[in-house]
Amino acid sequence: MKEEKYTSKYKWCTLVLVLTMTVLLIRLWDLQIMRGTEMRKLSEQNRIRVKKVVAPRGIMYDRTGKVLADTRPSFNIYLTPEDIKDFSQTVDGLARLIDCDREDIIEKMKAMSGMPPSFPIKIKSDIPMDEVAKVEANRVYIPGISIQIEPKRNYPYAASFAHVIGYVSEVSDDELKDKKKYKDYSPGDYIGKYGLERAYEKDLRGIDGEKRVEVDAMGREIRTLDVIEPIPGNSLHLNLDLDLQLTADKALETRRGAAVAINPKTGGVLVLASRPGFDPNLFASGIKKKDWQTIALDKAHPLQNRAIQGGYPPGSTFKILLALKALDLGIINEHTSFHCSGGFPYGNRVFKCWKKGGHGTVSVHRAIVESCDVFFYNVGLKLGVDRIHEIGDILGMGRLTGIDLPAEQKGLIPSTEWKRRRYNQPWYEGETVSVAIGQGAVWLTPIHLAMLSSFVANDGKNFKPQIVNRIVSPEGKVIKTFEPVVNSELKLKPGVLKLVKDGMRGVVNEPGGTAGASKVQNVLMSGKTGTAQAGSQSVGLGDHAWFIAYAPSEDASIAMSILVEHGLHGSSAAAPIAKSLTETLFKAKPDIKEAKVHENR
Amino acid sequence: MRIDKRRYYHLDWYLILNGLFILGIGLMNLISATSSFSSGSWNFIIKQLIAFILGLGLMLVVMYYDYRIIANHSKWIYAGGIFLVILVLVIGLAAGGARRWISIFGFSIQPSELMKPILVIFLANMLYEKKRQNVPLSLKDIAKPLLWTLLPFVLILKQPDLGTGIVIILVSFSMLWYVGLKKSTYAVMFGVGAISPFFAWHYLMKPYQKMRVLSFINIDADPAGFGYHAKQAIIAVGSGKFLGKGFMNGTQHKLQFIPEHHTDFIFTVFSEEWGFVGSVVLFALFISFINRCLKIAMNAHDELGAIIAFGIASIFYVQFTINVMMAIHLAPVVGIPLPLISYGGSSLISMLMSIGLLLNISTRRYMF
Repeated sequence: MKEEKYTSKYKWCTLVLVLTMTVLLIRLWDLQIMRGTEMRKLSEQNRIRVKKVVAPRGIMYDRTGKVLADTRPSFNIYLTPEDIKDFSQTVDGLARLIDCDREDIIEKMKAMSGMPPSFPIKIKSDIPMDEVAKVEANRVYIPGISIQIEPKRNYPYAASFAHVIGYVSEVSDDELKDKKKYKDYSPGDYIGKYGLERAYEKDLRGIDGEKRVEVDAMGREIRTLDVIEPIPGNSLHLNLDLDLQLTADKALETRRGAAVAINPKTGGVLVLASRPGFDPNLFASGIKKKDWQTIALDKAHPLQNRAIQGGYPPGSTFKILLALKALDLGIINEHTSFHCSGGFPYGNRVFKCWKKGGHGTVSVHRAIVESCDVFFYNVGLKLGVDRIHEIGDILGMGRLTGIDLPAEQKGLIPSTEWKRRRYNQPWYEGETVSVAIGQGAVWLTPIHLAMLSSFVANDGKNFKPQIVNRIVSPEGKVIKTFEPVVNSELKLKPGVLKLVKDGMRGVVNEPGGTAGASKVQNVLMSGKTGTAQAGSQSVGLGDHAWFIAYAPSEDASIAMSILVEHGLHGSSAAAPIAKSLTETLFKAKPDIKEAKVHENR
Repeated sequence: MRIDKRRYYHLDWYLILNGLFILGIGLMNLISATSSFSSGSWNFIIKQLIAFILGLGLMLVVMYYDYRIIANHSKWIYAGGIFLVILVLVIGLAAGGARRWISIFGFSIQPSELMKPILVIFLANMLYEKKRQNVPLSLKDIAKPLLWTLLPFVLILKQPDLGTGIVIILVSFSMLWYVGLKKSTYAVMFGVGAISPFFAWHYLMKPYQKMRVLSFINIDADPAGFGYHAKQAIIAVGSGKFLGKGFMNGTQHKLQFIPEHHTDFIFTVFSEEWGFVGSVVLFALFISFINRCLKIAMNAHDELGAIIAFGIASIFYVQFTINVMMAIHLAPVVGIPLPLISYGGSSLISMLMSIGLLLNISTRRYMF
């Protein structure tokens, strides 16, 4: 049995066994010892995914504590490329389950091709409940798809606050390229793009948390290992007043225009409305291309915040500025009068007064009440354009007011220096005649004229307009309070303000006043109408209607500036809006219930 | 049943203890490997224990009858085995795209597993006369054994169960080698062996099988598909490092990154949790076990016993080597269980019966 030949076979066998053992051990050494640390890391990555826990954005409240912008939970669909087993199964499967094209999904994936495959890509935001149910029920067939519950920005009053509150939207690729400015952002994050959302992005955003979860090969969460809770954003308490804003917005709803109301004693912005508007909620859930194009290509420019970006000739409202300066300098006094015969010959042309027959001989009071152009032609010429520019600039008109909103636009009150710089030409006196009644090269935004009305209302002192009153932490601690910042405080000659204020009160409350139809019950409102010739681009559409106002006439608590594009007459189109704002402010206050009964009727 | 005291004395306790060690490790490992299943480990452990007891009984039966008597009836046993394999194709239970099981009295059994020791006895019975004459096998001599190997091979391939098929072919070849081949036979076999991969690639292999080979060559060719298993398997093994993550602490299998981690890929579970040290111990146990089988073959009373013992040793060797190599990406992914470790009743019973044969041969080594 133990012949040579067969024992040699066992030797072969032993050799094979030794060889096998050697090969296996070398391989094991290689995997577990040489590359062990690397493999351990891979296995950790395999099972542990870091998921972002989005911080709820800070809430915005109006001055009475009513919520103007908050967050609500939304269901968002994410796709993790690494977890996909069969590309078409997952992508086509998802496209069938939810209202989303295959191409859209692929486009989203392409846009994120630079990210690691374990990075979840947001495919669709804020999906409806029936889609949530469908996706959840089919999870097994679409590996790589997950649903995250995340806070979504919610604007309960939609378009009414669109321009002032603004909106959030997903951070764009271009923004992300700016590594320095947007280093804390990653694709899919929301960022304030407009209005307060943008201006106070840092405060509102909060700090996202992190969740480390164990996942299986399908990408399903097995358990949460640890969570770094997100820190919600700070909330903003605004000076805006919900009821006033809604009143202004409703009045402007079918028109183009803007309304600004300021508390003249603090500069706190009570109303800042602009129409046409848009629904900021569309942006917050990932705006669809179609919706974006509708908004962006709209000829009425709904994205423009007319209150701080729309430049218009101020028309007769500008006369208040001239009256202030001329009276202060003593160029005119309360008895100085000019004769108005309906026209003012200057040079080789005649500047007309709006009233064909003329106003006769008028002093400054009547000139304001009845808005006599000829009176102010005279005053303008006596003042000269540079002194008009000077007072305007001091009051904050024409330049940036410094309101806490992004993209505020300058206006223009011309000066000789401006003309030289701009056109390298001397200023002609004839141009001053136009400027005197707020025409010609004068361009102002509604907020500029609110500065003027609040200056008069507050007896020679106005403040930088501020929308945010205070920033409050999630725990309720006040982080920052915005104290009123004085914009200008002029020691005018005694009696000047009284004269102008009497005039403005007369505009609304005296017989022959241009806004007599907007007289308010119980409260005295003062104002000044304006009708401005629209620019050459909108020939035939009619003049712009202005009205600046404040109430109560003595010790005012609201100063307004209303513009209605192509509203024809300040008295008929703009003044009624100021009237209803005043009514809302002084009626709704004592008894809110009564106001509601009113609405229901 | 009357058990001869001498035979009890002559029982190969080395083999038994070695085998029990491996089995013990297997059961312990199975607890961890199946802990992530929704049905829990308990269900699997019970089933495996039932199979163990059943296998133990069958092992005793195998031991009781002299292996020469068993070999005398090998034709019928073989026929029975083939019948069951055919039955699988007809009434088999499908799972995962393959028909490998038949259900008998509520137990599902995998006849291809039983076919391995059956073929060993059948071929041994066919060849031992030649070995006794000490005549190297000519081409004509190996034709018949090869034909009887190809029959179950083809039937098992039909299921399809490539892994078991490969085991059967390799075991058969090693037995022929053990008996001894003429130089001309070697030459022809090497020649055929050289061409057959091309032949198989073009005519026999299914696309998914080709894909497995391709992703073996380049693991990143299809990281989400076939390469995925291989990649996750080596991550599991490698992440065990020197001492392992500890019993029940493996993450790769628990999080289901590795499919079939309780059956074909069971080594990854063990190696992840017990590391290099544990793996070396397991290897040593297997090598020692196989070596002991060879010893039994060497010391067998007759050629028949020697060939049977060698055949069984081959089964253990082939399955152990391919299974481990597959888990550490030294071989393409193919479904072969790790003997005594992988979950699966048929495999365990088949292995226990094989051990029964070995003990049968070793206890009768001094008989005349």
